[in-house]
Amino acid sequence: MTVTIGFLVNPIAGMGGAVGLKGTDGLLAEAIKRGARPEAGNRALVALRKLKGAPLRFLSCSGPMGEDALNVAGITGFEVVYQTPHPTTSEDTRRACAVFEVHGVDLILFCGGDGTARDVYDTVLDRIPILGIPAGVKMYSAVFATTPESAAAIILNLSQSVRHMRDAEIVDVDEEAYRDGDLRTRLHGYAQSLYLPGLVQGTKQVLEDQDEDRAKEGIGRFLAEVILGTPDILYLIGPGSTTGAIAREFGIPKTILGFDAVKQGRLVASDLNEEEIIRLLEREKKSRLIVSIIGAQGSVLGRGTRQVSPRVIRMIGIENIIVVATPHKLSETPVLFVDTGDEALDKAFGPHISVISGYQIAQRKRIGVLTTKE
Amino acid sequence: MQTKIILDEEEMPKRWYNIQGDLPSPLDPPLNPQTKNPATPSDLAAIFPMELIRQEMSADRYIDIPGEVQDVLRLWRPTPLYRATRLERALKTPAKIYYKWEGVSPAGSHKPNTAVPQAYYNMKEGVERIATETGAGQWGSALAFATMLYDIQCSIYMVRSSYTQKPYRKSMMNVWGAECIPSPSTKTNAGRAMLEKDPDTPGSLGVAISEAVEDAATHSNTHYSLGSVLNHVCLHQTIIGLECRAQLASVESYPDIVIGCVGGGSNFAGVSFPFAGDKLIGKHPEVEIIGVEPASCPTLTKGLYAYDYGDEAGLTPIMKMYTLGHDFIPPSIHAGGLRYHGDSPIVSRLVHDGVMRAVSYHQSEVFDAAQTFARSEGFIVAPETSHAVKAAIDEALKCRKSGEEKTILFNASGHGDFDMSAYDAYYAGNLSDYEYPDSLIREALSRLPKVP
Repeated sequence: MTVTIGFLVNPIAGMGGAVGLKGTDGLLAEAIKRGARPEAGNRALVALRKLKGAPLRFLSCSGPMGEDALNVAGITGFEVVYQTPHPTTSEDTRRACAVFEVHGVDLILFCGGDGTARDVYDTVLDRIPILGIPAGVKMYSAVFATTPESAAAIILNLSQSVRHMRDAEIVDVDEEAYRDGDLRTRLHGYAQSLYLPGLVQGTKQVLEDQDEDRAKEGIGRFLAEVILGTPDILYLIGPGSTTGAIAREFGIPKTILGFDAVKQGRLVASDLNEEEIIRLLEREKKSRLIVSIIGAQGSVLGRGTRQVSPRVIRMIGIENIIVVATPHKLSETPVLFVDTGDEALDKAFGPHISVISGYQIAQRKRIGVLTTKE
Repeated sequence: MQTKIILDEEEMPKRWYNIQGDLPSPLDPPLNPQTKNPATPSDLAAIFPMELIRQEMSADRYIDIPGEVQDVLRLWRPTPLYRATRLERALKTPAKIYYKWEGVSPAGSHKPNTAVPQAYYNMKEGVERIATETGAGQWGSALAFATMLYDIQCSIYMVRSSYTQKPYRKSMMNVWGAECIPSPSTKTNAGRAMLEKDPDTPGSLGVAISEAVEDAATHSNTHYSLGSVLNHVCLHQTIIGLECRAQLASVESYPDIVIGCVGGGSNFAGVSFPFAGDKLIGKHPEVEIIGVEPASCPTLTKGLYAYDYGDEAGLTPIMKMYTLGHDFIPPSIHAGGLRYHGDSPIVSRLVHDGVMRAVSYHQSEVFDAAQTFARSEGFIVAPETSHAVKAAIDEALKCRKSGEEKTILFNASGHGDFDMSAYDAYYAGNLSDYEYPDSLIREALSRLPKVP
């Protein structure tokens, strides 16, 4: 079966980074003034060369947004479905993705950074799987392959009719703060992406790493049992589909990007803001917070999570925070970062954190120091 | 300084030490899984030879090793006891570290110490076939070797995750003429039920035991054999500790600390019971005995001391032991031989009574220790054994701080020649430090069997 891929390059991605700007959004003119040259096309080329000859059908954009790279890579038979204007803006990424969707592509392969990922996601949400070839300054979203080569490997696996889908966080990064050396990420949404299971052990696949859905189901089942076993405790369940597996066990709805309160398996309140959470906590004797790991850098409680402020965390108590993540996610994030926005609170987590990764299973992970400074 | 302490063949112990003879009160009896009443010898006769059932329940302090079994054991026994001077130097410790090297057996571990007598007693009763389970493959290969000696057919249910990770263990079993089946399999009701529940399960020792017991119980020519946990298995392994005691005595020494890794408990029992016996009878009340287990399957350190089934399906007798619950499936750590939800009832009792204690470690720190050992002493040990190495190193480092010249003995239960993929994963930074979320698990609903 031929797989149809919508392919686009954000030609200006990464230009700011090359000249020390830590991002290109809104600073293209400055980047060009400092001598930056478009590089994204070259990154895309590395992946495309490995895809030459594979049973794939490409739809793309004219010129620097895809066509040029496909031609240089020697890929033939592709169709240009979007005419690229000059200069390009983020609007072109969105428009091209909308056209890809109309053509019924199986996957959108883009080359860019976090900004590009957000534009692709905002257009197709989780309706079409997306995969990023890393070329930007910042790649904190989880839709990026680690290298252009691994992006190609994932697609070749897909063309052999094996599909391993997973949820991948799209994060917003505050560019202004980032340039000042301060990383502030906020969960923007969950895209569908692809991954290659079992790569970590070469040919010796470790079985429990293979299936995201299986791992989530195990996490959900285990924590549902814990919640039922502790009827006096209120549980605040944070964003994500891994935490969503708990709600599925109880057959209750879950706000994908927000915090819901659950007690005895019953939904107490949905999509709570900080004030509502505080009011709720004041009424409860004991509460716990269940959160998943956000973004490609493995952040626990990103400071963009405005609902769960340092004040809320102190009310709940660090010892009452349960972190969850699938084994695959953990294999991609050797070190986790606690980022509450309150340095003293971050330090109180200590050097390690235990993350629930399956039914009655946890993994100990090291906590690193978060910085954007090189 | 003497590096290896070697006994002559005629100095090999001629009797096993049965610590049940020195317990202040008898063990809580195993219970029949159907009636929940104490199991009788006839309950066990369908799957075990009578002599092993007798040993299982015996309170005799010593039990003779049959001459024909001694003849086979002499192929590799007595095993050497090493003074780890290079490791001591690397650690800059005043402690004296000794390790008993069981990696010299044909199967590469301590397991043949009990595989041989078990096969022998089955042969004496005319048993044609034996079914068993194996975790990492150490036990399966040992029983394949032993059954080959007595011309008994052997079917081995190997935990699926290990079957995938350690293909050469299966090859060894085949060389010795045994059949190796990944578990859960479609050959048994227990296996089929597990696969139906979860087709992608990595398997567990608990499930593999269910399969082997069911195989034995449903074939009249077939007995079952277990490589750990049971009293008679621990009994056969005491030859390790008896040799150690004699070897240390030959250099006028006695250990302050005895260490072994613990899965089902047999190698730990083997190295430690003769010393635990000395402690029980007041001859050496000060000796410290430490069992080492993985943080991902911390039966002795975080389990409950309670009656539980020995297997997943609830076919085995219910035993009083430390347990994480018979339906607990430990994560696929590389020390596959330590992935067992329960523990030897005798080891459990001795830990419960404070005669021994247990510690647990994460996977990556255990491999750090194995690397230190390989780069000082040279031997590349199995991931299971690495747990004992880690504890020995930690105790030696404590001595460096305190300046004490303690004598530390640990059992190097097996070589790691078939575990190179585990070392590769360690060097690639791909080891997951699994742990057991005990406080949360305690809050979830308990699934131990209800016993009167």
